[in-house]
Amino acid sequence: MPEQSNDYRVVVFGAAGVGKSSLVLRFVRGTFRETYIPTIEDTYRQVISCDKNICTLQITDTTGSHQFPAMQRLSISKGHAFILVYSVTSRQSMEELQPIYDQICQIKGDIQKIPIMLVGNKSDETQRELDASEGEALASKWKCSFMETSAKTNYNVQELFQELLNLEKRRAVSLQVDGKRSKQQKKKDKLKGKCSLM
Amino acid sequence: MSPVHSSWWGRGRCRSFSVTHAIIAVFGCSAACALARVTLCTKQVGAARPLQAVSACSPHHPLCHQSDPTPPVSLLEVLLDDIILTHSLFQPTDRFLQQLHHHFLMASGSPTPCWEEGEVLPRKQAVLTILLHFLETFKGILQEDESAGKVIKDLYLLIMKDASLYHELEDEILKLHQLVETVELKVTEETQPPNKQVKPLFRHFRRIDSCLQTRVAFRGSDEIFCRVYMPDHSYVTIRSRLSASVQDILSSVTEKLQYSEEQGTREEALILVAVASSGEKAVLQPSEECVFTTLGINSHLFACTKETFESLVPLPEEIQVSPGDTEIHRVEAEDIANHLTAFHWELFRCIHELEFVDYVFHGERGRRETANLELMLQRCSEVQHWVATEILLCEALGKRTHLLKKFVKIAAICKQNQDMLSFYAVVIGLNNAAVSRLRLTWEKLPGKFKNLFRKFENLTDPCRNHKTYREVLTKMKPPIIPFVPLILKDLTFLHEGSKTLLDGLVNIEKLHSIAEKVRTIRKYRSRPLCLEMESSPSQLQTKAYVRQFQVIDNQNLLFELSYKLEPSSQ
Repeated sequence: MPEQSNDYRVVVFGAAGVGKSSLVLRFVRGTFRETYIPTIEDTYRQVISCDKNICTLQITDTTGSHQFPAMQRLSISKGHAFILVYSVTSRQSMEELQPIYDQICQIKGDIQKIPIMLVGNKSDETQRELDASEGEALASKWKCSFMETSAKTNYNVQELFQELLNLEKRRAVSLQVDGKRSKQQKKKDKLKGKCSLM
Repeated sequence: MSPVHSSWWGRGRCRSFSVTHAIIAVFGCSAACALARVTLCTKQVGAARPLQAVSACSPHHPLCHQSDPTPPVSLLEVLLDDIILTHSLFQPTDRFLQQLHHHFLMASGSPTPCWEEGEVLPRKQAVLTILLHFLETFKGILQEDESAGKVIKDLYLLIMKDASLYHELEDEILKLHQLVETVELKVTEETQPPNKQVKPLFRHFRRIDSCLQTRVAFRGSDEIFCRVYMPDHSYVTIRSRLSASVQDILSSVTEKLQYSEEQGTREEALILVAVASSGEKAVLQPSEECVFTTLGINSHLFACTKETFESLVPLPEEIQVSPGDTEIHRVEAEDIANHLTAFHWELFRCIHELEFVDYVFHGERGRRETANLELMLQRCSEVQHWVATEILLCEALGKRTHLLKKFVKIAAICKQNQDMLSFYAVVIGLNNAAVSRLRLTWEKLPGKFKNLFRKFENLTDPCRNHKTYREVLTKMKPPIIPFVPLILKDLTFLHEGSKTLLDGLVNIEKLHSIAEKVRTIRKYRSRPLCLEMESSPSQLQTKAYVRQFQVIDNQNLLFELSYKLEPSSQ
């Protein structure tokens, strides 16, 4: 699919209440909100670097309810990378991700090149229904990456987005914009591939 | 007020008297004077001549003293229709209904100057007649006016309980029952029906399957999704009533943007701005309502602070398909034209009669329901820009000329379909300065089509108040889709050309002229439009294409494209 603009579009999917908005807000604004306001569809923009140019990271936070399948299809077709979120406190929320994954495969066709991250959120909660191992198992079944996060305690949130960008092989996207890195860092980057950490 | 009325109407008991009497009582005797004068004059000079009514007459005027037999029922029905349609110009609807209610209550009481003794039944019948006419006219939008709905319900109960009416007026009572119970006022409960769908309104929500469904009218109480942008082009989506005020919208947005509890109330107050694709910005006032349908085609709502207002830039153009490869190149002119007509008929039918009245006179009383009318106007603009966009995105000269030819054909077929809205819009689109300057493209157009287009230009010529167009229109029989902007122009002219009130008296002639215009629209829609169209997959594709145009409405950009195609000659 030809890239028409220099946006890099990440779309966040998952069941209602798993913490999609919390993750996004924690990443974009550094804040956390206890009150729950259901999302319809919001998009946040942030400047990042891409192939040594400035481009915009566009994160679309979607609805967890199933009212708007057409909006979901549209987001998938326009998206470059996907974050599939479940809550470690709810087995059902993990099961609800399967149809979304299927739809991504259906619409995108070849998903090998598409960065997909499976995320088990609310890792701070003690009353778990799911272990990390189950998340890993699903990720290996889907051949995608996996991590557990907590938006509340700000655990692994930055890492989530950075890792996602690292998975993008079609171009070099990075959260680091100014490119002012030490020679040491650059050498490190060169060995690792075209990615740079915050 | 004056005994003159009794002498006019004699002592007959027929229905027409009562209607007039009811109107007299409801609107006061002065309005009735004018009414009477109207009917008398018409009777004298014959129905063909335009009404000679003046806004008021003195009870001592010689004409008023003529003892005259019953005015024709049909004329009174017209006048009743006039008043029902236009009363909001000088009296809020709920007050009108309250007076009607009051009149019914008083009917059994002592005779007033306008009535004589022993006319209880005719009086009540008159109220019933007016109420029925009212309900028929206001069908579909009554639930939007809570106070009016309440008065109707009270009056309805009063009438239903009145046993004296049942014998004589069984049919009317039944009709009233049907109208009230089944149509309108069941849904005055608190909660909306649980499955009430949120309707898609905006471009970004329109690229979905529901675009293929038949259009349903929007009402102010409908819930829609609304996308509000930030200066950096992030956006939030909120759910809102169509009739929501700017203040309501900003509250929802502020709540969404409050990212954590610590933030508390936002430091800076937000303002809502409509930003057009050209970069033009307009700040919306907090009290403004129903703003969604007033936005231009590619305009968007932005929430920002006063400081960041200057920095607002419009969203980038969103033409997604590769240029020169859109559906229009693959489909026959006839199919496109028929789908245009079918869609515009749907949109036209969604417009309630009263929206036309409200649109022009909203200045007097604050807005009411004009969403569907505004959507039609928006669509008209969209079609114009679609024509220009498609041509200007077509890079190959030969292909572009071919496209021109196709548009002329489309206009011709729309005209055949009596879809004057599409016809006008396509012609205006072809006359867009960025298109008409493409000399080389127009030169290559075959002579036959050049002539045809010239004929079309003549037809849409605004000179002598669109005389040519109006003549063509009078020769058409319904169903017709008129060029709606012209109707609004006429209504505006009628409104601004004469005063509604003169010395506290109602200008009946003005009301009548306005109502006549609305009745013309009624006539256009009086027969269903039947276009034979198959529903094969390719037809559905065309249908979807026609209902979801992607257009450039930024005239500067259109010019840019035009100069790229054909640089200006030295």
